Amino acid sequence: MAITEPRPLALPSGEGEFTVEHPLGVFERPKPRGGWRSWLTTVDHKKVGIMYGAAALFFLLVAGSEALLIRMQLWSPRGTLLSADAYNQVFTMHGTTAVFLVVMPIGAAFMNYLVPLQVGARDVAFPRLNAFSFWVFLMGGIFLNSSWFLGGAADGGWFNYAPNNGVLYSPTHGIDFWNIGLILTGIASLVGSINLIVTILNMRAPGMSLMKMPIFTWMALVTQFLILFAIPVLTSAQFLLLFDRLFDANFFNVAKGADPLLWQHLFWIFGHPEVYLMILPAFGLVSEMLPVFSRKPIFGYPFIVFSGVAIGFMGWGVWAHHMFVSGIGPISVTTFSLTTMFIAVPTGVKILNWTATMWGGKLRFTSPMLFSIGLVTMFTIGGLSGVSHSIAPADTQQTDTYYIVAHFHYVLFGGAFFGFMGAMYFYWPKVFGYMLDEKWGKANFWLLLIGFNLTFAPMHVLGLHGMSRRIYTYDSGYGFDLWNKVATIGAFTIAASVLLFIINIFRSKAKARQLPPPGPDPWDARTIEWMVPSPVPAYNFDPIPTVTRVDDFWYRKYGETEDGRLVRVAATEDVVQKAEGDHDVHLPSPSYWPLVTAVGLPIIGYGLLYTWWLCLIGGLITVAGIYGWALEPPDDPDAAHGDDHGPDEPAADEAPASEAGTGEDAVDKEPETVG
Amino acid sequence: MTTVTPEPTDQPIPTQVLDGAVEAYPRDRLYVMTAVFLAVVTVVEIATYVWPDLPVWSWGGDTNAGIITVLLLLMAVKFFTVAYIFMHLRFDKPLLSRVFYMGLVLAVGVYLMVLFAFRLFWEGGHESGPQGVPFPSAGPQGPPAG
Amino acid sequence: MAEAIAHHRELMAERDAHAEHAHIEHDTNTGISNTKLAMWLFLGSECLLFGGLITTYLLYKNPLEGPTPEEIFDIPFTSTSSFVLLMSSLTMVLAVSAIERGDHHRLRVWLTATALLGGTFIAGQVYEFTVFYNEGLGFTTSRFSSAFYTLTGFHGVHVTVGIIMLVSLILLSLRGHLPEHRSETVEIVGLYWHFVDVVWILIFAVVYLIP
Repeated sequence: MAITEPRPLALPSGEGEFTVEHPLGVFERPKPRGGWRSWLTTVDHKKVGIMYGAAALFFLLVAGSEALLIRMQLWSPRGTLLSADAYNQVFTMHGTTAVFLVVMPIGAAFMNYLVPLQVGARDVAFPRLNAFSFWVFLMGGIFLNSSWFLGGAADGGWFNYAPNNGVLYSPTHGIDFWNIGLILTGIASLVGSINLIVTILNMRAPGMSLMKMPIFTWMALVTQFLILFAIPVLTSAQFLLLFDRLFDANFFNVAKGADPLLWQHLFWIFGHPEVYLMILPAFGLVSEMLPVFSRKPIFGYPFIVFSGVAIGFMGWGVWAHHMFVSGIGPISVTTFSLTTMFIAVPTGVKILNWTATMWGGKLRFTSPMLFSIGLVTMFTIGGLSGVSHSIAPADTQQTDTYYIVAHFHYVLFGGAFFGFMGAMYFYWPKVFGYMLDEKWGKANFWLLLIGFNLTFAPMHVLGLHGMSRRIYTYDSGYGFDLWNKVATIGAFTIAASVLLFIINIFRSKAKARQLPPPGPDPWDARTIEWMVPSPVPAYNFDPIPTVTRVDDFWYRKYGETEDGRLVRVAATEDVVQKAEGDHDVHLPSPSYWPLVTAVGLPIIGYGLLYTWWLCLIGGLITVAGIYGWALEPPDDPDAAHGDDHGPDEPAADEAPASEAGTGEDAVDKEPETVG
Repeated sequence: MTTVTPEPTDQPIPTQVLDGAVEAYPRDRLYVMTAVFLAVVTVVEIATYVWPDLPVWSWGGDTNAGIITVLLLLMAVKFFTVAYIFMHLRFDKPLLSRVFYMGLVLAVGVYLMVLFAFRLFWEGGHESGPQGVPFPSAGPQGPPAG
Repeated sequence: MAEAIAHHRELMAERDAHAEHAHIEHDTNTGISNTKLAMWLFLGSECLLFGGLITTYLLYKNPLEGPTPEEIFDIPFTSTSSFVLLMSSLTMVLAVSAIERGDHHRLRVWLTATALLGGTFIAGQVYEFTVFYNEGLGFTTSRFSSAFYTLTGFHGVHVTVGIIMLVSLILLSLRGHLPEHRSETVEIVGLYWHFVDVVWILIFAVVYLIP
């Protein structure tokens, strides 16, 4: 196999994407071109992030429609829009979709897109694995929602308690779809978490120690650790349920002495870290936006970091506050009540720090800023009701009422969703190369704020008056009628606001042709992802910057006088990276094996429910995918083989890795001059 | 494109050199000794089953506390031996140990809490479990008192 | 076709030649390679998975009907199985040691030994389960049986996946695709294998031996 004479390798370049038929493992890697096929085979974290975002927005419409159905059914007492059974399916799927297919993927979208940029890397640690994560997530989401067409969706609530989740009480396949679909999305999340943790720990730019990372990256790191450790707990519970339902096992079969509470414990050990992993990315994003629009650094960087880590740790010790009335006994209830009270502390620290960041700053009320302030205020309200839940005797009245519904929507919708919306406006120019219209953005915000509060504020009242959740209707004469109507009007207002957002996207894109491009740094921001052109080129940075402090980019533009006043030291154009010029950077080649491997998994899922043949076929596809992936040719040597490490000289080929390392050092780590 | 000179990927090593290589290579010696140690510990574990009445571990009486303690200790010894020596944690950077222990400590902590919530470690407990159904830890018993 | 295969061989050779400065092997901030860190993170998460199954077992180990653990377990047999798996960890680490010093023949010998020992363990499990089944312990018999088979079954599946990875490594080595500077691949499979052994150490004590 020795090739001794120097000659260019004869590669069939430029002959269309998928060329010759080869035995397994010998497929050429697809050439990176445009078009829809490049999206199917991409391993670029930016494209993967955009796909996560697009999928999340689609599922937002699905979950939102389900919410509107709920609100229409509850408009008046004894509504007739949905039967009890249909209502159960709708609210179950609304919760499941919103949690697993909207909020988590939006977080994943931002983390995938931004983390490599914020740490100064070219991509994540395992680009193909990243693509695989997305495809498996998408397959899981489609699988889960295919239940609507295949006999009915899950109907036990998004948490599907035992024994209701067994075949005796839920004989349709709905819960099986829920179960298997979420196992698939769980695989996606778990694999993605390993990817991002390795990226953050191993691939930071020179000079970027952990305490110089942007806050969003820190929150992403904590989130990924939470995912890493929480998802397997859910997976174990799900396999127990799967075996009960498909193979008649006895994990939740009371007649054989099983305890349905086991499901609750396992689910909530996952479920509580789950809510933190939904909110932490939004916290991180807001921690990026508030300083930019206050023209002040984040107040108490170490405190924000450590409180995020603390939330991550403490989130493991509070799960049974979801089970206060399930009969776990006074000792358990007291313990978890105390731990739950304590967890308000680190979150409170964050609220304080954000407020202090804004205090005395030169505030600019742009759309991202409005949404960020929205998160801080709405989340505080939700947090306060949360503290009231932590007092177990009070929770005994509140639980299973609309008071709880109000709480979690304030923290998840008012918190996470507002944060993500703001971040959409903030990062849109960076990702797509044009700004979203500010006027429409502000209208979007105010309509959303009004609609959101109209919908969920009354639910506090409804809950305290005793309106039960998870029930398809209510009777008149309880005082519920008015507030339910208000809530429904609010829900449609939210829908209008989301519509505004979508219209804004199309309008802004059309108008962008007549407007000058926003450039790399339209907001005068602080972190290094704003140094690169907009939209971000495939190679991210050229060269990879050396980082010397937190908010490194800001301090390349600004210095401080002795009395602490900001002074401009360099024009933005001189500090940002240019898109033109020869960028000879070797990037990971695209691959279709992640997609192939991912496609086999839902087929196995359908096989488990319908016929073993599908399991076999799906299994073969997945195994073939894994082998193809492992054996496929390396990154296309034909691609520009370039300058992020030194040129390949004959001597370099024989030398061990350290030589290549020095080559890299010479190019990437040369210190940059400011201004 | 420059010269491509692949490294020799598989050069056969003369077998004479290999004889005694296990002893010649000091790390391998450590591994074999570790395996012997693990085997011995396993024998002791099995001894608790074969001779449950040895004074070393019969002090728990009916509760089997002695045997359980000894078995858990031996199990932990084997666990950490494999992790430290075979999995190289002793020779690797501490970050790897920290990442693994994070998962381990979390798992042990959280699941111990669950077992406590189910009152696995002591008899009785009327508040968990459905009324009238024999409780997981207590085995068959009549309806709970009070 | 022959040209395509020759071309593939060129690509493989190019990859092996470039492997050190292929973009898998960049300097990392922590000094630990990406794949090794990734495997340890994965093993950390597996603790939570097996922890859940072990906890379930502990809660359900006293059945209301059907054979009980004391009645059904064959400790001498399982002890032998446990020895076999324990020794497979030794052969695995010897395999890693072999490739680190470039001894490819020994690598394959020890990998084969590990796979065979693993296969013996699985065969023992299958036999054990068959005997239990014939003695009245089916999957659906009781809460104990479901928990027991699920826990040991999950472990067995993990071992089987490990064996498949070992065999794949052997085949790769035979075809010359496992040069010395890719020894880390073997080490990573080794980490997975040792973890699977460690889980059995837990299961053996907690399920079989602890009364």
